[in-house]
Amino acid sequence: MPRNGTRISKSITYALILVGILLSGCATLFPDAVPQPVEPPEIVVVDTTPLETIKVTPLIRKPWEFELPSVAIVITNNQPAYADVAVELAERLENYEVYDLGDDSRPPVSVLRQINDSNTDIVVAIGLRAAQSSVAMSDKPVIFSQVFNHQDHDLLSENSRGVAAIPPLDAQIAAWKKIDPTLVRVGVIIGEGHEELIEQARLAAERHEIELRVQVTHSDQETLYFFRRMIRDIDGFWLFPDNRILSGRVLQEMLDDANRQQVPVAVPSVSMLKLGASLSITTVAEDIARTIVKVIREIKSGRLEELPPITQLSEIRVETNGAIQVVER
Amino acid sequence: MMSVAITARDWVLGRYGWIRDRLNRKPTSVAKRVLVNEILSIQVLSAALFGGLAIASLYWGGQWVLQDNYGRWALQWTEELNELGSPLYLSDDEEARIRLESFVERYPEIDRVSYFSKDGVALFSVDNHDELEAAKDLTADKLDDAVAVIGERKPYVMNSGFLNPRQFEIIAPVWTESIVDDGLFDFDAAALEAETKTELLGFVGIHLDFVIFHDRLLANIKGAILILLVLLIAFAAYGRRALQRALSSISDLEEPIRQLAKGNLGVKFEPAEHREISDIVEALENTASALSERDAKLLEMANHDSLTGLFNRRRFTEELKKEIISVMRKGHTSALFFVDLDQFKYINDACGHPAGDRLIRKVADELDRSVRRDDVVARFGGDEFAILVRRTDIHGATSSAETILSNMRRMAHIEDDRVFHVHCSIGMAMITGDNLHYDELINQADIACREAKSAGRNRLSIFEGSADGREKDTADVGWMNRLRKAVDNDEFELRFQPINRIHTGETTHHEVLIRLRGDDNNIVSPDAFLPSAIRFGLMTEIDFWMIENAAKAYSVYSVPARTLRFSINLSANAFENDDLVAHIETCFEKYKVDPKDITFEITESLAIRHPLHVERQIAALRDMGCRLALDDFGTGYSSFSYLQKLQFDYIKIDGTFVEDLMNNPVDQKMIKLIAEIGAEAGMETVAEYVQDAESLALLEELGVDLAQGYFVGRPTKTPMHKSTPISLDSRRMRIPVFPQSS
Repeated sequence: MPRNGTRISKSITYALILVGILLSGCATLFPDAVPQPVEPPEIVVVDTTPLETIKVTPLIRKPWEFELPSVAIVITNNQPAYADVAVELAERLENYEVYDLGDDSRPPVSVLRQINDSNTDIVVAIGLRAAQSSVAMSDKPVIFSQVFNHQDHDLLSENSRGVAAIPPLDAQIAAWKKIDPTLVRVGVIIGEGHEELIEQARLAAERHEIELRVQVTHSDQETLYFFRRMIRDIDGFWLFPDNRILSGRVLQEMLDDANRQQVPVAVPSVSMLKLGASLSITTVAEDIARTIVKVIREIKSGRLEELPPITQLSEIRVETNGAIQVVER
Repeated sequence: MMSVAITARDWVLGRYGWIRDRLNRKPTSVAKRVLVNEILSIQVLSAALFGGLAIASLYWGGQWVLQDNYGRWALQWTEELNELGSPLYLSDDEEARIRLESFVERYPEIDRVSYFSKDGVALFSVDNHDELEAAKDLTADKLDDAVAVIGERKPYVMNSGFLNPRQFEIIAPVWTESIVDDGLFDFDAAALEAETKTELLGFVGIHLDFVIFHDRLLANIKGAILILLVLLIAFAAYGRRALQRALSSISDLEEPIRQLAKGNLGVKFEPAEHREISDIVEALENTASALSERDAKLLEMANHDSLTGLFNRRRFTEELKKEIISVMRKGHTSALFFVDLDQFKYINDACGHPAGDRLIRKVADELDRSVRRDDVVARFGGDEFAILVRRTDIHGATSSAETILSNMRRMAHIEDDRVFHVHCSIGMAMITGDNLHYDELINQADIACREAKSAGRNRLSIFEGSADGREKDTADVGWMNRLRKAVDNDEFELRFQPINRIHTGETTHHEVLIRLRGDDNNIVSPDAFLPSAIRFGLMTEIDFWMIENAAKAYSVYSVPARTLRFSINLSANAFENDDLVAHIETCFEKYKVDPKDITFEITESLAIRHPLHVERQIAALRDMGCRLALDDFGTGYSSFSYLQKLQFDYIKIDGTFVEDLMNNPVDQKMIKLIAEIGAEAGMETVAEYVQDAESLALLEELGVDLAQGYFVGRPTKTPMHKSTPISLDSRRMRIPVFPQSS
């Protein structure tokens, strides 16, 4: 257990962080309150109510049936992508500690050693760095989230499970199809190691009568190369958050080319709308937190081995770029 | 069979006769440069130069533009090849290779594309040309340069040659970038640059040869050159015609200028169209006008005397020639007067040259008024005038001369409140059929004039055309020429006659005498030529010659052991020359003559004739340290007051007193008187013409100090110091000059 002084100061820090996250989270939770972007693109919030109601097969029992364990929340840093999830998760837990690896005053080894020495039951690692440190050093079960290329880092083990870094693929296709019913051919470029994801995407596309063209690349140049050859033959491009095959320059050129060719691009970040993307399909922090809590309960109930390696999310958030006109096909 | 040996030259000349003609042709004249061609050449050369510069600028400018474009294309191609090549590094995609080959084929400018590993090792190449060598590995330098441009705005290294700018070699790094881990979860477009990871894959090398563009550029430039040449030819043709037209105004000036050069000052110049030529025409007209004025002025100067405005000698001679022809044709007679003013030099000396000039002008007016309108009055120079009295006989001519004399006698000239009456002497020569040479006529009138002067001045003397008179005149003219030649050719000779002290017999000094060698090589006495020299105004030159040569002899014969003293005669003409003293000083300085050793002899008549002038000259000679002797004393006016005033060192008693001394008591008394006066005045007396010992003894008796004559010593070529041979017997034989009783 940390000493009281440290704990109090940490509590104040976390409280401030939580206030900040809540304030920013409000914008996410209540789309009407989202500040208007500086750039001309108009943020249009699509009514995602039907999609939110999409329920994946229940994984766990009702929450009140179990007492929640003590959880250590380790975040890579306090950026919104991680902090929002941490805040949402904290709201759903009774006994937890938050560790920020972005705080350079303590090395990850020290943080994990402390966690190991504590009475923590489960470690939730948010972000790649947190996941790498936790999986490598924690003697407690680890649930990681917000990691896309987990296979590159061998994050899955007997003692660790993950939560999907992207929204459910089927829901993404459904939402996009709803926005652009003429969508028929969708291109995907992704790095190595995502064969299962590609297969799931193909199935989801088939379900919505969409032809999915997938290309595996190894670099940003290669991505651009294949993108330029693919762009003339597709109605939309589905960008996954694979940082290995994307660079800022290539991303910008891809979006520029797509705009020139009037091909909508679905991106995994709202910020990319400013670069010219047509629509963003992102995860929802509450959904991630809820999913993590579910996984925690499963682990608490001793069904770790029964859990799938990656637990899929159930909600998506879609925003479109008003400046991009969807062409009727 | 005959064999004929010929040289190669002969063969060539035989075969090609025109070569022989060309070789034998001699240039007939020096080719003249043509102004039109030169101006045109300058213009065409300038145009060609500027055209060449423009074409060069076009070429290099075009090259620069092309090179700049090459750079842009190279950047684009580099990016495309970077994009095309990176899959080959990572996945060895066959399609990518095909696309790469297709890309290279599309651009013929690309010779070769080569890909290299990170270490610079050539991996593979795609060539557009089969003949290229295999790609070589990158050198370390190129590798370093290529690595240095990773991430730069222009991520390539481009090398091109200055002399071969169409070929480039580009080396660009091939690298990949990726967003940092999880960077897409919290995507921030602004921070992407900082959150980018870079990985070098290798290098791409592109060899470019823009031969097509370069050839097009060259073709354009060739076209430009062709157009320029055509324009130049057209410009040259037009320029030549324009220049010829413009310069025709100058050509038109050729004939008028030629006429002007021939002296035709009345030539007319056609007005020119062009301003510049018009200025030249105006200048030429002004020149012609100025030349006319100058000719008129020169003619005036050539024909007239500047002081009086009368005809000068040249013009008078022409008039005289015409009159001689007229006399010859028509048979009438005319007269020629030679007029010389009497005592003009006195006025000139007394009142100065401006007064003399005024008098001359006045005399000229008077003479002009005194003759008929048809008669011609001329000034020959100085105070000499000539008058041509046309169509008159000897009576009419005499009457005219008398009229002139009468008018001149009445004429009074006032100068400095003094009234001068200037008379003139007139010599007259009749122009008849016998004397038809103008020079002869002038000489006759001149001789007659001098005769008039000799006869007492202020009178007319008519040249008598007798046989004797002509012979004398001919002789005078001959002497004049002979003396002139002698002066010019240094043909005079000096003789030195000793002057000894009677008492001691010792030679005190020598009188320097002048001699002339005649045509028969015999020595001619001065008495023969000096009158002619005086008559024709050559005495001054003879005196000057004598002074210089006496000084020269002094320097030659003077020895330290014995003092050499010379006595030199000066004529009135020399004394009247203002340059006399300066000439003496120059000679003395030149030959290092001590003036104390030189005595100048002047005649009594000279001293009395020009007292003021003589006084001034004597004073100057005395200032130099020279001695003075009064020559021929006793024969003339013998003004004793002058003796005292002029302070001579010696009195030379005229030889006529000595010649018959032994028998003439009057001469003895006269010599005694002169000797006494000289002694009283502090002057030594010299007796000339001493012929014998008796005379010498008597002269000593009479108180004479020095003696000169054949008995004392004959004139010799060199100064001889020889004592007078005085015997005791001769002393004893002396007779008393003045008896005790008287």
